[in-house]
Amino acid sequence: MEHFRIENLSFYYPTSKDKKSLDNVSLRIEKGEYIVLCGKSGSGKTTLLRHLKTVLTPHGKRTGEIFFNGVALNDVDNREQSSKIGYVMQNPDDQIVTDKVWHELAFGLESLGCDQKTMRSRVAEMACYFGIQDWFHRDVAVLSGGQKQLLNLASIMAMQPEVLILDEPTSQLDPIAASDFLNTVRKINTELGTTVIITEHRLEDIFPYADRAIVMDSGKIIADDTPRNIGKLLFEQNNPMFTAMPTPVRVFYNADGDGDCPLTVREGRAWLNKEFEIIPQIAKILCKNIDDDIENPALSLKELWFRYEKDTPDILRGVSLEIPMGSITAIVGGNGAGKSTTLKAICGICKPYRGRIKVFGKPVNKFKSGELFKNCVSMLPQDPKSLFVKNKVIDELAEMTKDKNKINEVAETCQITELMNNHPYDLSGGEQQRVALAKVLLTEPKILLLDEPTKGMDSFFKETFAGILNTLKSQGITILMVSHDVEFCAKHADRVSMFFDGQILTTETPQKFFGGNSFYTTTANRMSKHVFKNAVTAENVVELYKKNKGGTQ
Amino acid sequence: MKDDAFSKLHPAVNLLFFIGAICFGVLLQHPVYLLAGIFASGVYYFFLNGRKGVKTILLMIPLFIFITLFNPIVNTRGVTVLFTYFDRPYTLEALIYGVAVAATFVLMILWFGCYGKVLTGDKFTCLFGNLAPSLSLLLVMVFRMIPNLLQKAKQIIGVRSSIGKGTAGKSSIKDKLGSGMTVIGVLTSWALEGSITTSDSMRSRGYGTTKRTSFMVYRMTKTDWILSFIMLLLLGVVIFFAANGGMNAEFLPERNITPIKGFNILGFIAYFGYLMIPTILNVKEVIQWNISESKI
Repeated sequence: MEHFRIENLSFYYPTSKDKKSLDNVSLRIEKGEYIVLCGKSGSGKTTLLRHLKTVLTPHGKRTGEIFFNGVALNDVDNREQSSKIGYVMQNPDDQIVTDKVWHELAFGLESLGCDQKTMRSRVAEMACYFGIQDWFHRDVAVLSGGQKQLLNLASIMAMQPEVLILDEPTSQLDPIAASDFLNTVRKINTELGTTVIITEHRLEDIFPYADRAIVMDSGKIIADDTPRNIGKLLFEQNNPMFTAMPTPVRVFYNADGDGDCPLTVREGRAWLNKEFEIIPQIAKILCKNIDDDIENPALSLKELWFRYEKDTPDILRGVSLEIPMGSITAIVGGNGAGKSTTLKAICGICKPYRGRIKVFGKPVNKFKSGELFKNCVSMLPQDPKSLFVKNKVIDELAEMTKDKNKINEVAETCQITELMNNHPYDLSGGEQQRVALAKVLLTEPKILLLDEPTKGMDSFFKETFAGILNTLKSQGITILMVSHDVEFCAKHADRVSMFFDGQILTTETPQKFFGGNSFYTTTANRMSKHVFKNAVTAENVVELYKKNKGGTQ
Repeated sequence: MKDDAFSKLHPAVNLLFFIGAICFGVLLQHPVYLLAGIFASGVYYFFLNGRKGVKTILLMIPLFIFITLFNPIVNTRGVTVLFTYFDRPYTLEALIYGVAVAATFVLMILWFGCYGKVLTGDKFTCLFGNLAPSLSLLLVMVFRMIPNLLQKAKQIIGVRSSIGKGTAGKSSIKDKLGSGMTVIGVLTSWALEGSITTSDSMRSRGYGTTKRTSFMVYRMTKTDWILSFIMLLLLGVVIFFAANGGMNAEFLPERNITPIKGFNILGFIAYFGYLMIPTILNVKEVIQWNISESKI
């Protein structure tokens, strides 16, 4: 029996009367299904999901019907909806209501007026299932982002919902926490039979397990099929959403592969094995070595040591790094390893107690106050919202400079000319990131520091963003970014540095760096390692595949 | 915080104890009782705070002396004049009364210090969750919001300084004020934005559908019941003796302090025993632990 049935749903937001946010959407969702909803930012995914719960439904004009378990959703009372339809949102922090973990777990049950005995057993049950026992009595404030989101999920599961709706739940998490979270969601689906409807950028982690993938574009459902077939559909339509598909899928279609499309690394390896039973002739991406002696580095760090408080362990334990002018350098590494702290140290937000930082050969403490950030160094923070202080994008930019031409120029580069009159908070994550970048660029930096720039961006925006970075690079700006996003670093960085144990261990070209690793590397490399050397991006693999196949024909 | 045996009890028991200790601390002005109070609160304060607590306790001494000596200056009643200054008498009774006032004062500081350590915010809201669910939820949300805002303020200040918009290069107070106002403005819109999500999250979890109940992580155990019973019993005894004048003490204008003799000793024992409950529990736990450890 179907769980949700949506019939010809159309919806307009009151502010945009001419543009339909949902356009004649019809959809059936069976009990126990695991459904992935994908699409570019602003394609109506969130709007659709919010329609599945009356209290969250946005205001506006709507036509069409939604049925839950065969009853019109509006006739299902609030109490039943609250417990049966669970909804997890994007921001881990703002969803949490109370100050203690145990209290948050019980919040939903308290609202439903459960008695002590039921609450006790449900809370205990959830704490065990989600492995929360160890931090049950903690303050919410001390949890990591991943733990917070897990808590949000657990507190919803405590109400024993039949359907779990997740709206980009991992966009604010680092990759490890994200894949933990998604595994938990999958476990809930397989072990409890809860219907799951999820929107997500990180398709690699969920595509292989989903029953159905639904692709949306400008409020319409443009594809609705099994994950294995959806890639083909998008590829044939030449749809921009194809870039969001998992790497094995992209490689397979771009290389014109035959047979069943691989979804996972394992399947991808098997496919390549079959294609290349003998080791191919051209099995290597050529890459140049990086020169260790850098003349006139834009930025040089020497033996930085730092700790936050007197009696806490050192975060930076002798960080040394030299960055050549006009390059893109990426620092990768685990969570809380001190990557962001390094950037903060360069900006003077943290003061290392030992070591030296030189910017264009001049020690940072020789710069007069404020001079460092004029026309020299600038940082794009992890959370772009922390940069916004005005009500309009144009005013944000005007805060930095009075020069109208300069503003227009930068807006052009960052592709935000159409957003000038919007409120910065109304923009999507990717748009906010670009406005923030524009604001930072108006200080006319020669060195640009980026802290997790691709966090919360969809694959489509990532490409746009990479394009902007390359433009800046060609203008001679030196870029240093800190990122968890290995795929992005592999594709767009000139040099990759590994941060571990408070130090920078190695610096290499992405091909050499990721090509040499077998765990901490890109999907493309893990998939093709046994056949090709140094192929770290989907494009690399496709290139080698075509060269070899072309040669043998 | 130290591992305190009394804090592990049900918050209601904790609250009952402090109500008793603090009320009688104020009401009973008898020097012996005050001394007992200072002793008990001091020892428990030390248990809760460890070495840091000693510093606070030592600080009480100058405070004590100051209040004692100051009282006769504002209060000139009393029959035994020690000396006069500017035609004002400085009396022995007022001085002794000063001792009592100072003792009460110190007592209150120490008891409330203990109270803050034992009955933390979440325990308090948990206690009153059932009586006023909405109010206690509001308190909980405020508890959460304050550290959140402080952390975000710090983040914004850092971010602004790294694009050259911080206070570092600015000298005038006007500029500094301006940038402070900007930070507050950002914080406000950030908080408002967040509160929309929070309210969505609350409503989507059924807030407002029925009358809220309140989840108690703490359960009344047998020990809790027994201790409450003992505490009420001891309080009963104390009230009985207090009502019969066994604990009276008057200072002004003449000293009239009931001696603790004969039957009245029982009242004192009950009071002192009551105040020492947290300490006794802690000592008991230490001893038990040592015994079980020696068996290993």
